[in-house]
Amino acid sequence: MTLSNAMLVFWKDWREISRNMQVLGPMLVVPLLFAVVLPAIIFLSPSLMNVPMSQFGNLGSIFESLPADLKALISTMTVQQSMIYVFGLYFFAPFFLIIPLMASSVLAADSFAGEKDRKTLEALLATPLTNRELMLGKILVSFIPSMLVTLLAFTLYCAVVDIASFGTFGGILLLPNALWLALIFGVTPTVALAAIGITVIVSSRVKGFREAQQLSAILVFPILGLIFAQIGGVVFFGPLMLIGLVIGFSALDVVVFWIGVKLFRREEILMRSV
Amino acid sequence: MLPLIRTEQLSKQFGMFWAVNRLTLEVGEGETFGLLGPNGAGKTTTVRMLSCIISPSEGSALVAGHDITRDRVEVRRSVGILTENPSLYEKLTPVENLKFFAQAYGITNESKIRARTRELLEFFGLWDRRDDKVAFFSKGMKQKLAIARAIIHDPPVLFLDEPTAGLDPEAAKLIRDMVVELTSRERHTVMLCTHRLEDAEKVCNRVMIINRGASMVVGSPDELRVKMSGNPKLEVKLVEGSDRFADRVSSLAGIRGVEQFNGKLLITADDISKATPLIVKVLVEEGGQVLGVNLLLPSLEDAYLKLIREGGAK
Repeated sequence: MTLSNAMLVFWKDWREISRNMQVLGPMLVVPLLFAVVLPAIIFLSPSLMNVPMSQFGNLGSIFESLPADLKALISTMTVQQSMIYVFGLYFFAPFFLIIPLMASSVLAADSFAGEKDRKTLEALLATPLTNRELMLGKILVSFIPSMLVTLLAFTLYCAVVDIASFGTFGGILLLPNALWLALIFGVTPTVALAAIGITVIVSSRVKGFREAQQLSAILVFPILGLIFAQIGGVVFFGPLMLIGLVIGFSALDVVVFWIGVKLFRREEILMRSV
Repeated sequence: MLPLIRTEQLSKQFGMFWAVNRLTLEVGEGETFGLLGPNGAGKTTTVRMLSCIISPSEGSALVAGHDITRDRVEVRRSVGILTENPSLYEKLTPVENLKFFAQAYGITNESKIRARTRELLEFFGLWDRRDDKVAFFSKGMKQKLAIARAIIHDPPVLFLDEPTAGLDPEAAKLIRDMVVELTSRERHTVMLCTHRLEDAEKVCNRVMIINRGASMVVGSPDELRVKMSGNPKLEVKLVEGSDRFADRVSSLAGIRGVEQFNGKLLITADDISKATPLIVKVLVEEGGQVLGVNLLLPSLEDAYLKLIREGGAK
């Protein structure tokens, strides 16, 4: 397998995608909603719209489930500070696992299923590109753009949180910090790779794009579970958990890719499109 | 002639159905070989096996010297394929499509790719549209581009699956003429699948008629005509027909039969070309006024339909 051949598939697909606003639009809009609009409403609107902080008093019950050291830290803060600190640094973190999944879901579901729909698959399968090169190329074409979107979303998210924290914490910028950098550059790519790998496998084994997208939508549920688990205090995105996630998902990435290559049988893939 | 495609009892089973059944054939270097048969005859399945997209259930085959079950990557490298659908990326331009496939087939030299792309686009009359998206092309243009894609890496073996399917007669003729010119210019060994007799007749050196996955007959188009529909016949048009003329012609040596109807004589002979001058001479001597003489060649269509009907009746 050569990376250059996998990149060949990547560039071919990327050229097609970049000319399709119907794909690019949702890819950008949904992540920006999570990374900019929603945080801006939560962090900036209370001060901009003069909402009294007493309105946020009932958040105390959510903070009850936080680890003891964090609870001790926020006990010294005002309501507004604690809200920005906890939501900005912790509760929004799992959303950044969903962003690459959302950004890549259309591309990954389209990888092989789209070629079947557009009847371009047979010529691609007839080339001497190996199964590994085809699989990797199709994974990369979902992975690279979705990570770029995630980085863009992260940059904007940092700006929103920092605008809020700058005024509230007396000139302190909360993001980026080491934990978030580990999340964005460690956990997010490994989670995205696993989800994309599974979606590409599904895409190669179904008849068309719609079927692939419907099946791959299921992948968001475990991440949603993580969000609710964090809100409920069952899990907490601390350093140990991040290291565990990186190791666990890296191993899963390798397994998913291995399974994908093993299941990649040109005849089956082509015949399923008939 | 060295065979570049050789199959031995090649078979493919889907469930209980044998799509290709013990197909044995040889195609020599530089030859254009037609697989002629109705829809569902097993032509596409044969080509897919020979280009290593699907695996045979039984039998073996060598393509450009490589075994289709063992040297899959080498086989793929050695063949170009025009699939049933043009299989082009419609959001890309012709240049981008050809560049991708050139690189996928292992050509890394940029200037070589550029030169080959230009050569092919000029040959197929698409150079002026090189920067347009393929989505805006007509069906005929897409088919030309798909053929260009199939030969971008100059493969020794070329599979053309229904190259004129879905095209209007003018576009179909253009594609046929281009395939003929291309094969004579670039010396590819071509296997052409078609259900169009015209394609087989005008493009192929040899034709195999297949039905229900099995070979029924193989030979040059002329051989098939004779083999399946008999020898050519001579039609003589007279101002006025008469039994006398028919009897006189029947008495000549080598004449097998004479039919008379509507002032015409339909004559079969051991060697009709040799007999024609003598037939005309005796008819004139007998007072016949000859309006015209036509050599009626049996059509490949007659041969094909006869075979397919016989096959269907089995």
